[in-house]
Amino acid sequence: MFMSEPQTEAAMTTAKHIIEAMLFASDEPLSAKQLLEVLNQSYASIETTAFTVEHILEFVAALNREYDVQQRAFHIIPIVEGFQFATRPQYAHWLGELFKERIKRRLSSSALETLAIIAYKQPVSKPEIESIRGVNADYVLSSLLERNIITIVGRASTIGRPLLYGTTEQFLHHFGLKNLKDLPRLREIEDLMKESEMEVEKKILTDALQSEKQ
Amino acid sequence: MYRIKLEQFEGPLDLLLFFIKRDELEIKDIPIARITDEFLDYLHYIEMLDLDIASEFIVMASTLMQIKVKMLLPKPFTEEGEEEDPRAELIRQLYEYKRYKEATEEMALMEDERRKLFFRQNFLHDEMENIVEKNDALKNVTLFHLIAAFKHAIENTPKQTFHTIERFNVTIDEQIDFIQQFLSEKKQRTFSELISSMREKLRIIVTILAMLEMAKNGIIVLRCTEHERDLWISQNIEPSFTGIISEQFSLN
Repeated sequence: MFMSEPQTEAAMTTAKHIIEAMLFASDEPLSAKQLLEVLNQSYASIETTAFTVEHILEFVAALNREYDVQQRAFHIIPIVEGFQFATRPQYAHWLGELFKERIKRRLSSSALETLAIIAYKQPVSKPEIESIRGVNADYVLSSLLERNIITIVGRASTIGRPLLYGTTEQFLHHFGLKNLKDLPRLREIEDLMKESEMEVEKKILTDALQSEKQ
Repeated sequence: MYRIKLEQFEGPLDLLLFFIKRDELEIKDIPIARITDEFLDYLHYIEMLDLDIASEFIVMASTLMQIKVKMLLPKPFTEEGEEEDPRAELIRQLYEYKRYKEATEEMALMEDERRKLFFRQNFLHDEMENIVEKNDALKNVTLFHLIAAFKHAIENTPKQTFHTIERFNVTIDEQIDFIQQFLSEKKQRTFSELISSMREKLRIIVTILAMLEMAKNGIIVLRCTEHERDLWISQNIEPSFTGIISEQFSLN
């Protein structure tokens, strides 16, 4: 589909700049769909073929190449099912100084742990979370809800109809994720068991080697 | 006893994993007796430091001891005819917890990386036109937002305080009857007993007036002693005698 009906080079450049302008002016990630909607609307009157998602991806890539060449301090990153301007990580130190008071707090380790369970098992109920962590989750859940990192997504059909929790877009943004598939793979229990076997074998080997040396 | 560096453990499972890692033990062959001792030592240590032990740790301690006992007893057979491992459930829990613990570590790294990025911010949004047409503003509304908005609205409604004034008619005559009935049960009773059932100040005041009236008319006698703050009320057996008797002070 891409390039099958070639746009004029000038039209392509203009479109690229419109995308750049939209992303620059936005304070939240814009999805390819949102960008397309606006872009195609403004072109509807002119006799041109509509742009596609592939075009958007190409424009973003082209813009990023320009920023790379010009050694800009920012670029466009894919995040929360869309795109957003972000500074490059090497400037974190100075920006951290500048926005000292405004930087969001790191999540506590209990919040992270709870969040990991919710992210991988969602929709998940409080009793399920508690049975995995072995501790009460009331406080953590309410603070995550308050920060809009998780949300109530429904009720389970099991006894007591407990509330079910899931992650939000804010969650993706907090961890710089494109979508939930972007999460690192959760290891299988069999995997963990094999690993511990290997460690034991390794230990036996190294112990044997050491005793040989002596 | 050796010292354990007091780390912040997320819970009993976290603590068990710590022991397992530190001592290079195997989860699937967890030495229950040893781990139980370590676990209890830790709890005692916490107790010594006078810190609160979360109830979850106590539950785990008892679970460990239960498994320890079961290990000593002949084991029941499973449906497949194998010996049931009393540790099976704990082992499963530890593995399951470890999976998420690992994911937690990765997510913490991701969080750190993300915190190095800064986005355009401080947009000042003016009042929006066509807010209904452009319902972007409503796109992320969840049940929790609704609850929060409702709570906010309720909390911010102007406080209206209502005072209800209840009229109640207590007359001195009624209270005189009340005192007489009160004294018919027992000859001598205290003032605090008399007013113990009364909640309204006004009723107590009227009762006092009634009591004084009765004392003046020689129907009752009031006494007080040095040591007690209370008043003793009794029926006047000698109607000729009027007044209030004080064993300490004389009423001149």
